[in-house]
Amino acid sequence: MMDVLTLAFVDVLIDLLQPGTLARIVLDALSKSALYVMIASGLSLIFGLMGVLNFAHGSLTMIGAYLGGAVMVVTVSAGMNGPARFALFFVAIAATFAALTLLGGAVEVALIRPIYDREPLFQILLTFGLVLVLDELARIVVELNGLQPRSKWQAAIGTAPDFLSNWYAVVGISTRGLYLFEVLLGALVVAGIWAFLTRTRYGLYIRAGSEDPEMTRALGVDVRKAFTVVFGVGAGLAGVAGAVLMWDPRFGATVPLSVETLLVAFVVVIIGGLGSFRGTVVAAGIVGLTDALMTWLFQNHVQFAGLPEMVTFLVLVGVLIVRPQGLFGVAEVGGH
Amino acid sequence: MSDASANSSDASADAGDASTGSRFGYARGLLGDHAVHIAVVAAFALYPFVYAILVRTPLGAELDVFLPRIDTMVAVLYIGLFAVSFDFISGYTGYLSFGHALFYGVGAYFVVLAATGKVPLLGPGTPFMALLLVAGLLVVGIALLVGAVSFRLSGVYFAMITLGFAEVAHVFIRNWDYVSSNPRDGASIGAGEGFSIGVPGVDALQVEIGRIVGTNLGEFGPGIAVDATWVSYYAIGAIVLVSYFALQRIVHSPFGRVMIAIRENEERARAVGYDVYRFKLVAFAISGFFAAIAGALFAGYRRSVAPENTFDLFVTADALLAAIIGGFGTLAGPLYGYLFKGSVEGVLSTEYHGIARYLRRALPESTLTFDVAGISIADVINVLVDGRADLYLGIVFILFVLYVPRGILGTLRDRLGGTVAERLPERMRTRLRGWQR
Repeated sequence: MMDVLTLAFVDVLIDLLQPGTLARIVLDALSKSALYVMIASGLSLIFGLMGVLNFAHGSLTMIGAYLGGAVMVVTVSAGMNGPARFALFFVAIAATFAALTLLGGAVEVALIRPIYDREPLFQILLTFGLVLVLDELARIVVELNGLQPRSKWQAAIGTAPDFLSNWYAVVGISTRGLYLFEVLLGALVVAGIWAFLTRTRYGLYIRAGSEDPEMTRALGVDVRKAFTVVFGVGAGLAGVAGAVLMWDPRFGATVPLSVETLLVAFVVVIIGGLGSFRGTVVAAGIVGLTDALMTWLFQNHVQFAGLPEMVTFLVLVGVLIVRPQGLFGVAEVGGH
Repeated sequence: MSDASANSSDASADAGDASTGSRFGYARGLLGDHAVHIAVVAAFALYPFVYAILVRTPLGAELDVFLPRIDTMVAVLYIGLFAVSFDFISGYTGYLSFGHALFYGVGAYFVVLAATGKVPLLGPGTPFMALLLVAGLLVVGIALLVGAVSFRLSGVYFAMITLGFAEVAHVFIRNWDYVSSNPRDGASIGAGEGFSIGVPGVDALQVEIGRIVGTNLGEFGPGIAVDATWVSYYAIGAIVLVSYFALQRIVHSPFGRVMIAIRENEERARAVGYDVYRFKLVAFAISGFFAAIAGALFAGYRRSVAPENTFDLFVTADALLAAIIGGFGTLAGPLYGYLFKGSVEGVLSTEYHGIARYLRRALPESTLTFDVAGISIADVINVLVDGRADLYLGIVFILFVLYVPRGILGTLRDRLGGTVAERLPERMRTRLRGWQR
């Protein structure tokens, strides 16, 4: 029994260490990590500053996907060439970011502010109730427009320019242009957030408030306004992630996207640790690599379709056991 | 002086009661203490008859829309038990068990696997009561393992790690082909004898449950058929009742008080000398046991299970919703909370007994096509009413979190100053006495 396992293990290892395989896995990991960091960054900012695990994060991502898709489907005409569509995509991203930032800010002021003084449990519960309402409203709007809520919005995927949906050979691996674009976007988003956190006043408030809310308030910062801004920006980032996912044929704009992205965001933020954006980036890399590795393992050696998902959750459990505050986490939130 | 004589006269009055009608006095005292419980159990027990009679009245069709069907009430019972077990750990110790669906799912799948012969040692002929027990014990083991690792964390992190465990199981059961040829769709038991609840081995004291295959006791009165659903309702209700009272006993015991102490101030409980880790573990195991029983009852009744109605995060979410509406930390609250949810889902259902279909049948064509700005009444029904229970439940949920955070039962208890069972009879007595003056 043991030698059968060792043989199988060595077999897998030999296959893994081929340069072609490694390159494919690394490329896959990069594109997935980029997506995960975009999905999780909004949640990370909100969780870091407010200690609120925004359950509605997935729903906001899903709304962003449909909004971005709507903008593209409405503005892109069949004959439009690649660069024009590409430019329109940035318009869609900007519009989605703006709309979702406003929605997030409104939600924070109307629903979350009244319950600051209560236990953290109620903030989690409230955002959970939001999931039900937002998902159902999205389903209503989607069905009214003649789409199937559970199937990917093919028309939206179709608005992608050819040079992104085509397959290219990079380092001998065939990959979609879109996946390379995602890596680029992911890097841009990380750079943008990093600049926001380190070079702007609100970024400073967020970092200070994450470390020591009381002191920050004592120093005269209007923490309440910062909360609203952060919640809005977090929602906006979720929307941007959604707009990118809308184009990706592996995901597409569907209503179940809300739960899929929510779980991913949770895993990344918790592994990365509370209050640390660097942690989120590193965790996204780890989760992306795990996903890519396990997907390759499933496709070539192990007959178990749920392997990538299962191992991702096992990594979450493992990290929480070994390092309860996450990899880069500072303090524990929500305890007794 | 007068105080002393008053006291002594009270004492002699008590002694007098004790000596003359002691047995009746004791019985009356017991009944008085449990009057509310008896009333609630009686209400549940009489409901099928009330429902059957009411839908045969002239307003029957209208009432059928709003009253939950017996089938829905069976679900209220077993999912209510699940929600109660969730409240037992989350409401009384304050540790949110977001992975609670894990226990429910294991209980459910265990029954289905045992019935299809896939569990070693326990073949298809095993009595259902034995399956309940074994499923519960299996889950106790799982809960102890999960808890051993998870209770080193608290708050959000505890919730996340339990969720992680539940999702690992969820993904696993969705892809494990030992369960059935298409694990994504779940597994089913198919035709055959229903599971028996009662005293194993004694035929007279057993009834079979199952929506279709359960025992059918035939007609009971004019048009009141005590069919399989009714029998299942009472059988499952009996088990849920026993489970509820077991949990209630524990909550009102010193063990329960330590659980509440952990919720209120864990450091102090630890400082006073309680081994809080062990208490949390045991509480978790107990809650898991009853969650597994709930899952097993579900499988026994429906005879088929799927990953999304057993291990899914949204199953735990159902319990969460029920707990918020009914009241966290009240034990009985979640049952009523799920009764509310089940009723709303029944009213807004897409089936024939839902309000959407009723309105389409009952309203004249002219009303249905009457439109304002291009939107007709029929459109409004289709879009905003038909099958939209989740939307309104979500809104109610948010409103409750904002304005009624203690839930229905919790707010009632706050008003009465204690549990309903203790205070309501007293309150009613003082009200009545007020009228008599």
